[in-house]
Amino acid sequence: MSVEKMETTSMSNGAANAYEEKENTLSPEDLSEMLAAGTKEVHEKAENTQFVKDFLRGRIRKELFKLGAVALYHTYTAMEEEIERNKDHPQFAPLYFPTELNRHESLARDLEYFYGPEWKSQVSCSEATQRYVDRIHQVGREDPVLLVAHAYTRYMGDLSGGQVLKKVAQRALKLPPTGEGLEFYQFDGIHSAKAFKQLYRSRMNELELDVDTKKRLVDEAVKAFHFNMEVFDELEEMGKTIQEDVLDAGMPVHGATGGDISKCPYYAAQMAASGGTAYACQLAMAVLRHPTGQVLVATWFAALAGLVAWYLM
Amino acid sequence: MAQSFLPHSAQSGADTKTRGEGVVMAEMDPESATHTEAMVEEEEPFFSNLDLFLFSLIIGIIIYWFMSRKKPEPIPEFKKLDTPAPTTRETSFIEKMKKTGKNIIVFYGSQTGTAEEFANRLSKDAQRYGMKGMAADPEEYSMGELSRLSEIENSLAIFCMATYGEGDPTDNAQDFYDWLQENDDEDLSGLNYTVFALGNKTYEHYNAMGKYVDKRLAELGAKRIFDLGMGDDDGNLEEDFISWREQFWPAVCEHFGVEASGDDSSIRQYELKVHTDLNMNKVYSGEIGRLKSFEVQKPPFDSKNPFLAPVTVNRRLNKAGDRHLMHLELDITGSKIRYESGDHVAVFPTNDTGLVNRLGEVLGVDLDVVISLNNLDEESNKKHPFPCPTTYRTALTHYLDITNSPRTNVLYELAQYASDTKEQENMRKMASSSPEGKALYQSWVLDSSRNILAILEDMPSLKPPIDHLCELLPRLQARYYSIASSSKVHPNSIHICAVVVEYETKTGRVNKGVATNWLKNKLVNGHKSTVPMYIRKSQFRLPFKATNPVVMIGPGTGIAPFVGFIQERGWLKQQGKEVGETVLYFGCRHKNEDFIYQEELEEAEKNVVLTQLNVAFSRDQEQKVYVQHLLKKNKEDLWKLIHSDNAHIYVCGDASHMAKDVQTAFHEIAEEVGGMTRTQATDYVKKLMTKGRYSQDVWS
Repeated sequence: MSVEKMETTSMSNGAANAYEEKENTLSPEDLSEMLAAGTKEVHEKAENTQFVKDFLRGRIRKELFKLGAVALYHTYTAMEEEIERNKDHPQFAPLYFPTELNRHESLARDLEYFYGPEWKSQVSCSEATQRYVDRIHQVGREDPVLLVAHAYTRYMGDLSGGQVLKKVAQRALKLPPTGEGLEFYQFDGIHSAKAFKQLYRSRMNELELDVDTKKRLVDEAVKAFHFNMEVFDELEEMGKTIQEDVLDAGMPVHGATGGDISKCPYYAAQMAASGGTAYACQLAMAVLRHPTGQVLVATWFAALAGLVAWYLM
Repeated sequence: MAQSFLPHSAQSGADTKTRGEGVVMAEMDPESATHTEAMVEEEEPFFSNLDLFLFSLIIGIIIYWFMSRKKPEPIPEFKKLDTPAPTTRETSFIEKMKKTGKNIIVFYGSQTGTAEEFANRLSKDAQRYGMKGMAADPEEYSMGELSRLSEIENSLAIFCMATYGEGDPTDNAQDFYDWLQENDDEDLSGLNYTVFALGNKTYEHYNAMGKYVDKRLAELGAKRIFDLGMGDDDGNLEEDFISWREQFWPAVCEHFGVEASGDDSSIRQYELKVHTDLNMNKVYSGEIGRLKSFEVQKPPFDSKNPFLAPVTVNRRLNKAGDRHLMHLELDITGSKIRYESGDHVAVFPTNDTGLVNRLGEVLGVDLDVVISLNNLDEESNKKHPFPCPTTYRTALTHYLDITNSPRTNVLYELAQYASDTKEQENMRKMASSSPEGKALYQSWVLDSSRNILAILEDMPSLKPPIDHLCELLPRLQARYYSIASSSKVHPNSIHICAVVVEYETKTGRVNKGVATNWLKNKLVNGHKSTVPMYIRKSQFRLPFKATNPVVMIGPGTGIAPFVGFIQERGWLKQQGKEVGETVLYFGCRHKNEDFIYQEELEEAEKNVVLTQLNVAFSRDQEQKVYVQHLLKKNKEDLWKLIHSDNAHIYVCGDASHMAKDVQTAFHEIAEEVGGMTRTQATDYVKKLMTKGRYSQDVWS
C-alpha cells in the first residue's frame, strides 16, 4: 500500500549557460533522485490497482482491511528483522532509524485490536506476502545494500500517501478516534513527515555507492513495488469470496426500528402529514398490533355483539 | 362458567344461536360437565341475559385468539423494505423547513461522511443561538428552490462541500454542481449563504468544490454572510472546522440581530460543580495527565507524563543591554530520557501568580474553591476542559492561557455579561464579521496586545462568572526549545538557550512571555524548582558522516542547536574521528553585549573543531550588518562547500525575516558564482531542501 506522492520539482531547462556546462553533482547521481525517477511509473501503476482505488474512495471492507494489516505485519516484521541485523553495515547504517520508523509493534497492536488476544494463532501469511517476505530475508542475508530499496519503498510511502489512507480508513471503517486499529499509520517519533523524508533522502545520498549499485537499487525498488501490487491483487481476490458486510448501513435512519417501517417516526410523520385516512388506518393497525389493544378491541367487540344479540332477542 | 354449562348442549354442535357458548365450551372443555338442569327451567329470563353475556364474551375470546394468531404476519412486510420508495417523500426543502419551523439548512457534499457529520453538528448548533437547523443531502432535494429561501424569515443556507479527486464534486453533489454550472440566469438574490470547504492540501485542486460553490453563488446574486472556511485534512480538519465555526456563529447572530440566547442565560458546554468536602488527594494541582504524576514519577516520559527536571544552571548569557538572554541546564539523571543534538525540549510553564491574583480580584471570586466543569454532552470524549476536580487558581495558573489576546468567539460569549450597553455593543461588534467590527478587534485587541485581564480592566461593567470564563479560555500550551547540548558530551543534562520576552504595549501595560519569565525565575537546585519536560524528536540532524562539511547559520538564540552540534563534532574529534569543515555564521547586536557563548566558540575555534567563526554585529557600526551580508562576502568559499564538497546547510532562528533573507543570499550566490538564472537558483535551493541538505529549524 505505498502511495508516495512525487515531491521532486522539475529542473528548469535554461538555454546554454554556465550552469548547464558544469558537471552537476546533483541531478542524475543522487540516489534519492534516481529512486524517485526510476519508480515513478510503477508507482502510478500501484496507485491505479483496483484495491487502492477502491480504498481511496472509502470502499474498503473491514475483513479485507484486517487481512491487509496481516500482510503488513509479516512484511514489516521481516524487514525490521533484516534492518536490525544490518544496522551497522556501512551500506545501511545511515538509514537506521528504529525509534522513528519501526512498525511491527504497532501492527501487532492493531492485529490484537482486530482479532483479539489470540491473534497470532488466528492469522497466517498469504502466498503473495510470503514471496515478498522471502525476498526481504534473502536480500538481508545475501546483499544487504538492497535492503535500502525495500525500506525506501515502504517507509517513504507510509509517510506520504499513507497518511491519507489513514483518514479514509478511519471514516470508512468507523474506527475509534482514539486510534485503535490504525496505529500502523501513526508515527509517534516523527513530528514532521516532510522533514523526516528530507532527512532520510540526505542519508540515502550519504551512502557511498557506485553507479552500478545505485542502478541495482532502483531495480530492486521496482521489484518491491511489484511485490506490493501482487499482495493487493491477492487481497482483491480474497475479497471476492468474503461475505459482503454492510459497509455504510444502507438505510441508517431505519436501523433502530428493527426493519418495521411503521415504527419509524419519520415515516409515521410522513403518513400523518400526507393524509387523514391513511393515517387513521395506520393508527388502527398500530393499535391492533399491541396486545392490550387487542384485548380492548376484543372486549369492545364482545360488548357490541352482546348488545346486538340482546336487541334481537 | 362451568356452572352454567348445559349437559345436552355438549351434543348439539350446530345450534349456536341460544346455546352458542355450549358449543364452544364443548370444543374447549368437553370433559367438564355440571348438572344445572334444575336451574335452567326455573330462571329462563336470567338465563338468556347470562347467555348473551357469555355469548359476547366468547365472541370476544375468539376475536382475541384470532388476533394473536395473526401476529407472525407482519414479518413478510419486512421484505418490502428492500425497495423503499416512499412515494410521498418531500423533495422540497422549502416545504420541509416551513413545516418543521427551521430557518437554517445545511447542505453537505460528502463522500466518506465527514462533511455530513459537520453538517449535522452545525444544524444542531443552531439551537444554541435560538434558531432551528436541519442537515440535507443535496441529492435528495430540488436545489432549484434555493431562491425560495427568501420566503423564510432569517433563513440561511450553509454548504459543507468536500472536494474529491481532481477537484471534483462528491457523488451526492454532482447534480447540484451541474445545476450551478448550467443555470446562468438563476437569480439567488434572496439567498443568504456561507460555505465550509473540506479538502487536502497535498492535492493540486485543494478545496476546488468549496471554492467554486462560494464563488458561483455570489455570481448568481446570493449574499455571502461569512467567509469561506477552508478545512485541510493534511493538517487538522477538525481544528479548522472548529475555528471557523467559532467565528461563524457570532457573525450569524450579529447579521440577523439575533441574541445568542433567548433568555439571559447562555447555552454552555460545561456545567459547574462546586466541591465542598473533597479529599485533597483527589484534586489536581497542575498535573498534565495522571493524578499525582508529579509526586510519583514513572517513565516513560512524554507529553502526557512529563518529567520534573531539576534546574542545575540558570545564568545570564549577555554581558549588558536591556534584554535578558539565559542559559539553563536541566538534570535528567535517572529519567531514562535520551536525546540527540538537534532535538527539541518541551516544557510546561505556569502563569505568573500576580496575574492570576489580579484576575481573581477583578472577577471578585475566591480562587481556592474546588470545582469541576463537566461536559453537558455525555457522549463527548472530552469530559472536562482541563483536569478536574481542581481549583480556579490551579486552572488559571497551570491549565489556561490568560496571556494571549482572546479570540472573537470569546468576546461574543462574554458580551452578555457587560451591563453597560456601549461596552456590550462593542464586544458584539468586535465578534461580528462586519468590516468595522473586524477593524475594531484588530486595533483594540490585537494591535494593543490586550489580554483577558486588560479587557476586563478596560471594560469595568464586564463581569463574567469565572466558570464561564474558564470554559472559554484556550489551554495553556507547552513551549519548545532547540536543545543547546550534545547527548554525547552531556548525556544527563539538557541545555536551553532563550531570550526573555517582555515588552510594553500601546496601553502602557507590560506584557511578559509566560515560559521565558517562568524559566528566568527558576531557582538553581531550589526545592520544588523543577521544570516539567519531555523530548520531542526533531529531524534537524548532523550528517551521518563526520567528514561531511556543515554550514550553520544561527543568529541570536538561533545558535542553540549549533552549540550542541559543535560540542558533538568536538567529541568526535576527541574520539579520533576525522571531522570535516564546521562553519558557523552567528549574529548579534553588540560585540561586548550579547555575543553569547563567545568563550565556548572561541575555544572551539582554537581547537579547530570550529573551522570558521563568522560573526555579524548588527549595531556596532552605522549600517546594519547581518549574517546574510557575511554570507555574501564569502560567496566563493560557500559555493565550493555547497556545490563541490556536498556541505549541509542549517538555518536556525527567526522565520519571518532572517530565514528568508538567508535563502535569498543563497539564491544570489548560486547566480553570481554558480552562473545560474534566478529561476535555476531558486530551484537549486529548493532541491537542496528536498534532499535534506538545507534544513531549517525556525520559529516566528
